[in-house]
Amino acid sequence: MVAVYTLYIFDRHCECIFYTEWNRGRSPLSTDRSTAAATGGRSEGSKEPANTGHAVDGTGTHLAGDSQRPLVWPTSSTSTAHRVSPESPRNIAMEEEAKLVYGVAFSTRNIINKLNSKDSPQGGNPGGFMSFATNTYRLHYYESPTGVKFILTTDIAAVSMQPVLEMIYRNIYVEYVVKNPLFNVDPLASSPIENDYFRAVLNNYIREISTTASIA
Amino acid sequence: MEKQYKSVGEEAWKNNTEKASAELFIFTYGSLVVQLAKDYEDYSAVNKQLDKMGYNIGVRLVDDMMARTSLERCSGFSATAEVIAKVGFKLFLNVVPTVTNWSADAKEFSLILDDNPLNDFCELPPKAVADGLWYSNVLCGVIRGALEMMQMQTEVAYVRDVLRGDDVSEIRVKLVRMLDEEVPASDD
Repeated sequence: MVAVYTLYIFDRHCECIFYTEWNRGRSPLSTDRSTAAATGGRSEGSKEPANTGHAVDGTGTHLAGDSQRPLVWPTSSTSTAHRVSPESPRNIAMEEEAKLVYGVAFSTRNIINKLNSKDSPQGGNPGGFMSFATNTYRLHYYESPTGVKFILTTDIAAVSMQPVLEMIYRNIYVEYVVKNPLFNVDPLASSPIENDYFRAVLNNYIREISTTASIA
Repeated sequence: MEKQYKSVGEEAWKNNTEKASAELFIFTYGSLVVQLAKDYEDYSAVNKQLDKMGYNIGVRLVDDMMARTSLERCSGFSATAEVIAKVGFKLFLNVVPTVTNWSADAKEFSLILDDNPLNDFCELPPKAVADGLWYSNVLCGVIRGALEMMQMQTEVAYVRDVLRGDDVSEIRVKLVRMLDEEVPASDD
């Protein structure tokens, strides 16, 4: 069984337009390990004290016993998503973390491109950077031809999540973000993804792959 | 290489597309242009507006096309031209323009459209022809927007149009420069 921990989506301007995390209680990446059985109250901060994370409205995302809804970032004040609050237990702020993750993936991809003598100022992933692993997690990378980057962290057992990332790009991102007329594709600025359908479909998809046989 | 793009385009057209009524699309586009002409009353402003609308469509369309056809980045500008003609146009309009008139430095080419579906049922009034309206200028914007998302800055414009009395419709695509990928702002 593949445990998926987090997903980051970066747009062409190197900005993190979407971040979400699942399985917080079991993820080695989260400092929030002790809340596996607790409610989501602590991680939400002071904004929604009454919402204990048990799905009251039927969007019940019970990921293999984890009763917490996936947290999402960045969010505006009008968003209905479960947000990663500034007070939630993390080692560094969300913006910093996103920048560091981007930097790691970007630099690794560039090194691999250079070693293959395929680097170009236009970017892309001709060197074929797919994933790297530490002793606690594995990070998978996928870059669309248009420069949108998807980064997924999972447990070490998942050897290749390229098909998963491609599915997320083709059937979820393109369908619910690119084709949404209200999503601002500005050549200069970035806009975060704040789209309930996108989140719902993504959560369903990740839940499905987490509960089927692991991809090896 | 060329055969491969042609088959990619045809296969994607057969399998990966939801078809919509052509007439509905053509008439919707026509009424859009009519409304713009009424609002602006100046045909060069209409041209600009169509190009801008096309640009907004193009930046999203390219992601859609990449998702459906699983293509990778093109090796060069000539491959790009082939993909636009054989895959892009085929996938969305079911026509395949011909790529010709390459310039000496291989940075410009022409797309010759024998049969532009948007032109069906359309007749331009003499004033529109005299003032220089390019009826399907939205296509120019789409190509420009799509190529900009693929890191190419281009200038795309109509050169000839059957609705204005020429024998074929011709769009000229010129590569201005390749855009570099953005790097994250450094902290120092």
